[in-house]
Amino acid sequence: MILELMIALSVGAGLFGIGLYGALSQTNLVMIVMGVELILAAALVNLVAFWRYLHPDEPAGQMFVLIVMAVMAVEMAVGFAIAIARFRVRGSVEMEEARELKG
Amino acid sequence: MTVQMIFLAFFGGAAVWFGVVVFRTHSMVRSALALLFSQTAIGAMFLVMQAEFLGVLQIMMMATEMSVMAIFMVMFMMDPGGMGKMDMTHQKRLSLWAGGIGLLAALLLVWLPDWGPVALSVPGAHEQAADLGRELLGRSMLIFQSAGLTILTAMVAATMVAIVPNAEQRK
Amino acid sequence: MTMLALIILAPLLAGLAALVLRRAPEAIALAGAGLGFVAAMALLAGIVSGGTMQLVLPGLPQMPLRLVATPLTAVISAMVATVAACVLIYAVGYMRSDPEKPRFFGILLLFVAAMQALVLAGDWITVLAAWELIGFSSYLLIGFWHGRDGVPGAAMRAFLYTRSADLGLYLGIFVLIGWAGTSEISATLDITGTPALVAGLLLLVGAMGKSAQVPLQDWLQRAMAGPTPVSALLHSATLVAAGAILLIRVAPMLPSVALLAVGLVGGITAVVTGLIALAERDLKRLLAASTSSQYGLMLLAIGAGVPVAALLHLIAHAAIKSTLFLGAGVFQHDRDSTDMEAVAGAGRTRPLILAAFGLAGLALAGIPPLAGFFSKDAILAAALAAPGAIWLAPLALAGTVLTGAYMARALRVLWRGEAQPVSGKGMGWMSAGIAVLTALAAGLGFAFAPLEHLLGAELPPEGAAMILGLAAALSGLVLGWFVAPSRLMGPVLPMAQRGFAVAGGMDGLVLRPALAVAATCEGFERRLLAAQLGLVRVLGLGTASRAERSDNRLYAATLQVGRMNLRLGNGAETTDTHGIDGLIFGLVARTIAAGRRLRLLQSGLIHRELALTVMGIAVIAAVLLTVPILS
Repeated sequence: MILELMIALSVGAGLFGIGLYGALSQTNLVMIVMGVELILAAALVNLVAFWRYLHPDEPAGQMFVLIVMAVMAVEMAVGFAIAIARFRVRGSVEMEEARELKG
Repeated sequence: MTVQMIFLAFFGGAAVWFGVVVFRTHSMVRSALALLFSQTAIGAMFLVMQAEFLGVLQIMMMATEMSVMAIFMVMFMMDPGGMGKMDMTHQKRLSLWAGGIGLLAALLLVWLPDWGPVALSVPGAHEQAADLGRELLGRSMLIFQSAGLTILTAMVAATMVAIVPNAEQRK
Repeated sequence: MTMLALIILAPLLAGLAALVLRRAPEAIALAGAGLGFVAAMALLAGIVSGGTMQLVLPGLPQMPLRLVATPLTAVISAMVATVAACVLIYAVGYMRSDPEKPRFFGILLLFVAAMQALVLAGDWITVLAAWELIGFSSYLLIGFWHGRDGVPGAAMRAFLYTRSADLGLYLGIFVLIGWAGTSEISATLDITGTPALVAGLLLLVGAMGKSAQVPLQDWLQRAMAGPTPVSALLHSATLVAAGAILLIRVAPMLPSVALLAVGLVGGITAVVTGLIALAERDLKRLLAASTSSQYGLMLLAIGAGVPVAALLHLIAHAAIKSTLFLGAGVFQHDRDSTDMEAVAGAGRTRPLILAAFGLAGLALAGIPPLAGFFSKDAILAAALAAPGAIWLAPLALAGTVLTGAYMARALRVLWRGEAQPVSGKGMGWMSAGIAVLTALAAGLGFAFAPLEHLLGAELPPEGAAMILGLAAALSGLVLGWFVAPSRLMGPVLPMAQRGFAVAGGMDGLVLRPALAVAATCEGFERRLLAAQLGLVRVLGLGTASRAERSDNRLYAATLQVGRMNLRLGNGAETTDTHGIDGLIFGLVARTIAAGRRLRLLQSGLIHRELALTVMGIAVIAAVLLTVPILS
């Protein structure tokens, strides 16, 4: 039983690493958003695993999952809205060119 | 070795592999689809872990989201098909290191502590849903409502950012 | 009781109104005098029907002011009011062209009020106050034309003479009040023995001053420098009557020795001033000397023990003498002088006035059936019946003779001379006043019998007195008309002309010493003031210089303190700018430099930002995870 927990948590860790790599390395905004999605998914996996194997009687765990899902959706929407705005201004969403905030 | 464990391992591995594919492929559409599959595998994992509601929710949501993302991909990418085979990354070494350290740290965190006794029985799906509903409308009402408000704000904000007054559009 | 108050208040308020308002003084004066006259008549009527009236006002502790209306006081008050009213009517015409009418009428009315207060007084304090007031108003009135030569001196002389005699009055009153324990006059009249004698003699001295008896008679003659209405009112009927009134009132108290003294003083005065009147070369001064003489006769009557006779003669004399003076005033108006040579023949152009003058003169001489006859008779009878008749009777007779003599002389001067043209201005008023008084002078004699009855007095039998009196009067008149004074008086004439001045007279004995003392006091005061000023200057300057020196030292010290403060301030400023400011600004500069270097972190590139974010999260996570483990 504990091994299942470990597997699930390991999966979450792996997803987290990949997502982190992607968020940091990609030039395109949409790709960065994808990386963030992966990180959030890793969090979800961890949450569900903890709920299932440690506290299955607590509906609060599922509640947490719902909230994170909502956050994922919202973040994606706002991110894409910014991408549209950026595209309209620049004609591309490449983050390499976004140097306006250089101090 | 239970069935659950095998399925978990399978779906988990699928999720991880598809996640890698997201960033290795040159085609944008394939990248989006790979993400879709990864999320679906995660949803399947939920189902294996007997969180039926959550699993279904995950699959449904992610399907829609990834489709939307694919559309956006096609809209904004220079080379959606990936035919140019350009390396679209920067600070690769840094990211690799960051990712690797993150992975290692997480694994350490997972494997080192003693998680305590594992629960054996899980309430049925119907019961889970009912409990979740009661939780939602009872103790977590505030969270629920705040989340709703936040989503509404985000929708409005996104719309505001995305649309442009007619005058500028004509320019 | 209201009558009592009204008799005094009416003229008083009219006088004040005239002085303050300065408009229509004649109307105000006539109103005031008229009202006073009516009130006095009403009072007399009330007294005649019986009883006395009293008005008590709060005064000094245990010595309230009283006004009392006995038959005596009511009769005198009525006399004063009548003469005052007539003289005021006369004065309206006399003062027609004078520019200072308000002052005249105002002071005259104030005098009338004071005189009435004196007459009606019921306690000695009121007597004293009223005495002083009439003396003061007399001074003001005599000196009315103070711009003219000799007038201020005359007023001052009159004031000083009477004032010096008032000392006797004060002492007498003090004796009376002290011995009797109260200031009420009727209570003090019960004193007997030595205090009565002493008080009586002292009061005599006061009376001598006011009534111009020898040796204090000179002031009255000099007082003729005032306007004629003043002479008529004050110096014939009222002011000089004050002395006689005083003695009449205290007569019940006087022991025989005092009475004799009074009688002798009166008798000697009658003769001496009669001689002076005969020798006079000025009409008004003649009349003034005559006044002294007549009052001498009154005092003689009091000394003879019959105050009623003196009172009757007082009343008669008031009407007579005021008529004479008013007539003289008319002649003065015509000839602008009262010198005998100037008024010679003035009677010719004014026959009616001369007739009034003559009538009054004959009345004074004592010709029946005029008023003077009855009163002179009474005096002579009293003198003959008196204890000291040996002394008093001859003096009285001599006085009567002399009265006739000088009156005849005056009439003769007025008749014999050249007539000169005269103007008729103001004659209406003047004639009216004279007419009333003449009528009184003629007719008062017939009121004497009821008066005697009212006063409850008995006069001694008059047979011998009547004959002697007539004889004396007629002989005097004849002598005066036909014989010139120089021949009549002979060697006495020069002395009489000088007013029988002895050892420099009152002038040298009283007046000049008094004025010299006053001048010395003034000089002394001036020197004292100068000494004070000198002292103040020395003290003040000394302290001032000392204060200046210490002030300089203070100033130097203050400067030192100031300099020290400045040095402190500079030191504080240097530490502030170099020390603290240096530290702070150095810190600021270094912070800015650090900030500038940190800015380089801000590449603006999203991926870099993300990387930094991840690093930050890693740090936070590490902290959060290790801390619970370590603790």
